[in-house]
Amino acid sequence: MIEVNKLTKRYPGRTAIDQISFEVGKGEIVGFLGPNGAGKSTTLRILTCYLSATSGSAKVAGHDIFRESIEVRRRVGYMPESVPLYTDMRVSEYILFRARLKGLRGQDVKRNSEEVMDVCGLKEVGRSMIGTLSKGFRQRVGLADALINKPDLLILDEPTSGLDPNQIRQVRDLITQLGEKHTILISTHILPEVEMTCGRVIIIDGGHIKASDTPQNLVRRLRASGNVRVELQAPPDKARDALKRLPGVKDAVLLETRQDWYTLEVTTESNTDVREDIHALVLRRKWPLRELYRKAASLEDAFVNLTQTPTAD
Amino acid sequence: MRPFFILFLKELRAFFLSPLAYVVMALFMFMNGWFLARFVEALRVQASQHSLLYLMFEPGWFWMGYFFLFPLLTMRLFAEERKLGTLETLFTAPVRTSQVVLGKYFATLTLYLIVLAPVILYFLLFQAITGETAAFTPGSLLGTTLALVLIGMFNTAIGCFASSLTSNQLIAAMLAFVGVLIHYFLGFLQYFGAGTSSLLAEKLSYFSTVEHMRAYSDGLIDSRPIVYYVSFSAVILVLTHHVLEHRKWKV
Repeated sequence: MIEVNKLTKRYPGRTAIDQISFEVGKGEIVGFLGPNGAGKSTTLRILTCYLSATSGSAKVAGHDIFRESIEVRRRVGYMPESVPLYTDMRVSEYILFRARLKGLRGQDVKRNSEEVMDVCGLKEVGRSMIGTLSKGFRQRVGLADALINKPDLLILDEPTSGLDPNQIRQVRDLITQLGEKHTILISTHILPEVEMTCGRVIIIDGGHIKASDTPQNLVRRLRASGNVRVELQAPPDKARDALKRLPGVKDAVLLETRQDWYTLEVTTESNTDVREDIHALVLRRKWPLRELYRKAASLEDAFVNLTQTPTAD
Repeated sequence: MRPFFILFLKELRAFFLSPLAYVVMALFMFMNGWFLARFVEALRVQASQHSLLYLMFEPGWFWMGYFFLFPLLTMRLFAEERKLGTLETLFTAPVRTSQVVLGKYFATLTLYLIVLAPVILYFLLFQAITGETAAFTPGSLLGTTLALVLIGMFNTAIGCFASSLTSNQLIAAMLAFVGVLIHYFLGFLQYFGAGTSSLLAEKLSYFSTVEHMRAYSDGLIDSRPIVYYVSFSAVILVLTHHVLEHRKWKV
């Protein structure tokens, strides 16, 4: 659905994106992640033909974004980051206008408008002026606009920014629901959301793509050097030495002492789970144990890990 | 073609749904109605060899208010879209930049004609009510109307261009006002230092709105101003188009 090939965008004095290439297949929901200023919005704006790339090429829905921009725009539903809307129009009026502008005719205008207003929960505010709507409703108007002509591909730039947790959940459910029929490229900061909705994640930082994988794989890769925490009652030195001698353990350090309970952190080699060994150890030594857990790496850890490591240059 | 009509109607609706159109129309009608009444009064008191049309459009009275019209009608066209960020939703819809520019331009031009119509109607009304046949000839009224349409085309294009340059409506209005006025005064330059170069004076007279108006209000329909205003409007609209496309290549 999207094929990006060595896309570069240079602004005076800085390169926003540097030769990025990626693909999004039909039916995928892809999360586009990156810190602020990483080039996310620039990439999305190029894909939606709002900006032109300095070099490189991209195809969206089988059409070249530069040469066949009208064809591309016909097939993409785009919701920009700040959800710009005409504040002095009524919701239903705006949706009808956008429907016509996107080339719908006759019966379709009304039918599709009613459908998207229904899907996005806008029925009750149809007569309201957009300027009087809350952020959550505006976001939904933007989403309704993106959906109006039943596009093959949805590109949503931070669709949940500025929403309250309930609204975020609603939008997330809506996106999951839409994902059944559409290909979706969604940029966001909210990582748990990506873990829940997206089948694949592309992480971009400083204009480069740092990773492109499923959220599970990204986390697994990070978990390679996982840590295990143990809280037990034992002479701390003995405990530490015993733990260090376990196979696959790189290091064990004492983290904190609470009366006669000691918390130790055990660093292991990649892809080894030492929890069973530790269990066997404390049973053998008859050390009381009250906590043993492996820190689960989250997508957030993966994100931080990928975007904070200083690059070679 | 269809996006053009959709945008055209949307703009026209937007004008009439905002109070601006009504305020501008009411003030413009009031001002020119008052001017006309004063000139009719003047003619009643003292005979003149000039027609009512000449008195209305030759002195500066009419033009003073007239040039405020364009900044007011055009300032929001693109500046507001820039400010709201809706330029992004507009240009990511399957519409060509040219359709956007022309849609907005012709909507504004239509509004201008609607605002202008009463002024022309005044003369017809005056004639109908008084039964005076000699106040002016039909040809001169037709010529005046045509001149006002042509000058309006040009000035609306200037306003469109000014609005495409900025996200601040006030700045857009100022730019349009200055642009429109500079063009108007260009025509007066021929009267200054006319002795120095008659060739320059002649060239400058081609730009002179005043001269065009004088000829047209005599019923003399010269083809040169038609070519001049239409082609220059087109050039300025092309520039507007380029300004809007420029975003793609810069920030």
